[in-house]
Amino acid sequence: MIKVNQLTIERTGRAIISDFSTEIPSASITAIIGPNGSGKSTLLAAIAGDLAPISGEIKIDGVNPYSLAANELAHLRAMSLQNQPFLMGFTVRQVIEFAGPADQVMTDLELSHLAERQVTNLSGGEAQRVAIAQALAQMKTNQCSTLLLDEPLSAQDTESRNRIIELLKKLAKAGATIVVVVHSSEEKISWADKVLKQSL
Amino acid sequence: MKKLLPWFTIAAVVLSTLSALMVGAAQVDNFWSALFNPSSNEILWQIRIPRVSATLIVGAALGIAGLMAQGACNNALAEPAILGTSAGASLGAVIGILFGVVQVGSLGAILFGVIGALLATALVFRLAALRGNLSSFSLIIIGIAVSATLTALVGLLSVMVTRADARSISFWSFGSFALVTKENLIGIAITTAIGSALAWKIAPALDRISLGDATAFHLGVDVKRSRYLALVALSILAGGAVSTIGTIAFLGLAAPHIARFIYGPTHRFLVLQSALIGSLILIIADTLARTITSPNELPIGLITSLLGAPVLIALVTVKNSVWKVQ
Repeated sequence: MIKVNQLTIERTGRAIISDFSTEIPSASITAIIGPNGSGKSTLLAAIAGDLAPISGEIKIDGVNPYSLAANELAHLRAMSLQNQPFLMGFTVRQVIEFAGPADQVMTDLELSHLAERQVTNLSGGEAQRVAIAQALAQMKTNQCSTLLLDEPLSAQDTESRNRIIELLKKLAKAGATIVVVVHSSEEKISWADKVLKQSL
Repeated sequence: MKKLLPWFTIAAVVLSTLSALMVGAAQVDNFWSALFNPSSNEILWQIRIPRVSATLIVGAALGIAGLMAQGACNNALAEPAILGTSAGASLGAVIGILFGVVQVGSLGAILFGVIGALLATALVFRLAALRGNLSSFSLIIIGIAVSATLTALVGLLSVMVTRADARSISFWSFGSFALVTKENLIGIAITTAIGSALAWKIAPALDRISLGDATAFHLGVDVKRSRYLALVALSILAGGAVSTIGTIAFLGLAAPHIARFIYGPTHRFLVLQSALIGSLILIIADTLARTITSPNELPIGLITSLLGAPVLIALVTVKNSVWKVQ
């Protein structure tokens, strides 16, 4: 369960999110949608503990993420970025193992055949799946209850997209709180249990 | 075959070390018996062994220092000479020596060098972050500017004060092992051991920082603290080396890149391999520097550049996927 209470976040002096409140239930998938610049990724980053709010508060399972050190926070939530930069030639397996055991998540996300390939040599969709796999490995290893994904489907073909959605549904059914940022024009969000619409 | 690669580096270092001990302006008779009998040959035991030991230690120190610079900045161009660390160490040591507080190569000079290195590196980072995020561009440009300024100050101080023990601008700019003594070894061994241990400790965090600050934080890394510790390790390693033998440019850039191209990007492994390759390059360079124009010596910094640059260019050209160019 994530509670957001009267949250205001500014970036470079401009309020991106203003006095925003919501509740995100556990054991469910919540999609955040909205046009570019509406603050979808900002809201997700705030929940992840990346951005400190100007006012208001966020609680994940009753804990304020800003009160925790980085290593403690890594046991509360796992997150993958929209455009994960891969600068160094670690293999897919190595990058996932930074978070936890890789074999199962590589199977789940159809990455097993790429296990020994350098992450600098992946396509956009493959790199996106590696970032998701890393977050899933962290979730399993650290037993995080919350999974935050920033536009995880944007570079995926239909088959991979369906596979990821089914995986998320399975995790939600097992009790995870999943928040996914989705570009609103991208698709129908029928797979989400709750939709949060951000506007400009 | 891949598993044997590290042993090739070790074998190359051992062979280069033995060659360096054998060759020089004077002949060492009965080399092998002299090597195992400390009182038998003065040239070997009083001059060559301290000098060769110093090249091994300094090479390792600068190799790991470069790795820490590149890892902390997540930037392929970072190295002690570019981030102002080497120039800060030179200035710190020169100030200590010129004010008569310490002597070249002493533990005091090393302390002044490490403090100078820390202050200069901190200054570069503080200036680069003035406009918000720490960008690679501002870090490198400001690092080059601060290095140039501090090097100029070292030059001015060296020229203005004509003390014999202050060393020349050539020494501080290009480095030299000609005046290294047994006593000097203790100081650089201490700083290299401390800096290496710190580098080893934070290496796993640098692996994760290579994925970007945000992802490293998501994985549980205290990015600010890890980066700060890497810069402290860099300053201790480079400060100790530069305050004793002067600036040897390029080694800190080349050694970790060569290690990364051969062995991959895992930082804990690279701490060992950057040290070995740094030692290997420096021992070959020093042997050439003192034998090509024997009995005169060439500045070692010139040889390291001539040796390291082609290797680096070849590796980047042949295999460029270890560090993705953005």
